[in-house]
Amino acid sequence: MHILFHHLFTPHHTNNHRARALHIDALFIYVLLFAIFNLGFRLIYRTHPDVLGYAIDIRVEQLLTATNAKRQAAGLSSLQLNSVLSAAAANKAQYMFQKNFWAHVAPDGKTPWDFITGAGYHYVIAGENLAKNFSTSSAVVDAWMASQSHRENLLKSGYHDVGFAVVNGILNGEETTLVVQMFGTSNQVVVSPPPAPPSTLGITKPVIVPEEGQSLASLPLGFTAAWRQPLFDLPTVTRGAVFVFGGFLIALLIIDGWMITRHHIVRISGHTIAHMLFLTTLFVSASAILQGAIL
Amino acid sequence: MKIHRLHFLVLIIILVTGVGLFFYAGSNRSLQLAIGIMSTLAYVGWGVIHHALQRDLYPKVVVEYVLMGLIAIVLLMTILGP
Repeated sequence: MHILFHHLFTPHHTNNHRARALHIDALFIYVLLFAIFNLGFRLIYRTHPDVLGYAIDIRVEQLLTATNAKRQAAGLSSLQLNSVLSAAAANKAQYMFQKNFWAHVAPDGKTPWDFITGAGYHYVIAGENLAKNFSTSSAVVDAWMASQSHRENLLKSGYHDVGFAVVNGILNGEETTLVVQMFGTSNQVVVSPPPAPPSTLGITKPVIVPEEGQSLASLPLGFTAAWRQPLFDLPTVTRGAVFVFGGFLIALLIIDGWMITRHHIVRISGHTIAHMLFLTTLFVSASAILQGAIL
Repeated sequence: MKIHRLHFLVLIIILVTGVGLFFYAGSNRSLQLAIGIMSTLAYVGWGVIHHALQRDLYPKVVVEYVLMGLIAIVLLMTILGP
């Protein structure tokens, strides 16, 4: 058992002074196994996304709560969920899927402001944040907060209203969950309701009176949440497999490097330190792969 | 020994540039994969040139670098997902 361990994992006279697990045929088997694993999980993902897929739980109410929590933490007022802005956000998301683009301005020149005014919201100031392929609402808001321009948008004191749309679709051939957040302050007339009778206790809320011909649409159905809970979360499975195998390989190279230096072994092979550096940079790069994107 | 250090300095520059570009690609996964493949090719190229200059370049060594590169690409493709 002891000899087998040395034969497999350490430079030894039985393995020509290179761990068997680092021999060329072993490396070839790793490539083959991971290629099969790769094809396998892609196949399962396409045929059974309920078994192996992307876990998603993004809801408008969570996005609103998280957005307002960030604003309150910054000493700002909470934003009101506005159904017209939500309709504009839903239209924008649908347009991105329809025209297959991911940008603030559409290839045909259509801007976020066109969607906002098109939905019937007459703004004094307005803004837009976009996100795609995140798995949770808090991850979306955290990513916006980590980006200076999105953070400025989210924490702008001049905004009064906010609208959201969470939409699933196919973008650039990939299944995508889009989140559109639209901010605004309307130039609609804001009036206070008539004073309450002295005996009634309550909070006086300003009431927005729509302009002539404008109706406040209800929150668009089908654009308020994206939820999916497959049996196995694809990013967790693939990251786990890659990091466990990569860690195993780097550990083997560290043992190899240490033993050949210690025993002054001279052999014909590639540079262990170079392989270690190469795989370590791969690890650093892989750990930086983001699950979502913002714009 | 001095030449050996110079070779490793070149390798570190190649790898750091690769990581830097990978970060720069942000969330563009196709670009990240392309950068990963380019970095791997540069690594294999470095290995071949380094061993040729050290006069210990054998087919077995070339195959080892190529297989290390293939492992890196397959791992990257796995983590970048479908």
